[in-house]
Amino acid sequence: MNKNIEILFFGKLKETWNTNKLKLKTNSDDIESLYTEILSKAAQTPHKESIKVAINDEFVDWQTAITDGDCIAFLPPASGG
Amino acid sequence: MFTISETSINADKLKKQTLDPSAGGFACFEGWVRNHNQGKDVTKLAYEAYNKLAIKEGNRIIQEAHKKYAITKAFCSHRIGLLEIGDMAVWVGVSAAHRDAAFKACRYILDQVKARVPIWKNESWVDGESGWIDQE
Repeated sequence: MNKNIEILFFGKLKETWNTNKLKLKTNSDDIESLYTEILSKAAQTPHKESIKVAINDEFVDWQTAITDGDCIAFLPPASGG
Repeated sequence: MFTISETSINADKLKKQTLDPSAGGFACFEGWVRNHNQGKDVTKLAYEAYNKLAIKEGNRIIQEAHKKYAITKAFCSHRIGLLEIGDMAVWVGVSAAHRDAAFKACRYILDQVKARVPIWKNESWVDGESGWIDQE
């Protein structure tokens, strides 16, 4: 079933996808399959193992289900401090 | 408490919030923007944060420090936006009855913030180029 979602990119992943935000309809059921779906829009292939994911401002794992209206964030390794 | 600051970090104000009559000492770390990194001359840098998640994760780290160490108060503030050389990027302060807990908790908070809080550094170099920095 189609879900309307928003995707946020941060740090160097903004350059990978050439945007900081995507809005799309998806049939993907979880973050892992959503990631595979949007890889075709990426300018380079990111290092997936280093990426953390969040839904609605909370860290989650890659197998977390997506629901309509979710805001999903892809986060490169932190480099603050 | 963990905060994100879009303007200069007010270290004096943070220190006053950290002091407590039951504390016998105070340990503090200030991180500043230096003019070199990984062999390159740095001219300025910009920090970006996922604010809502950064504040949640930063406060989780402060709570962990309270559970792990016998401390009185702990605060951490991280700057975002455009910073010049010498600007303060991060401030951590911990008060405690005794020094050992204060030093250890200060180190713990800083290390965990650097590793876990979703904040990213983009450096500008003297050659005019810029780029996102990987975790150190």
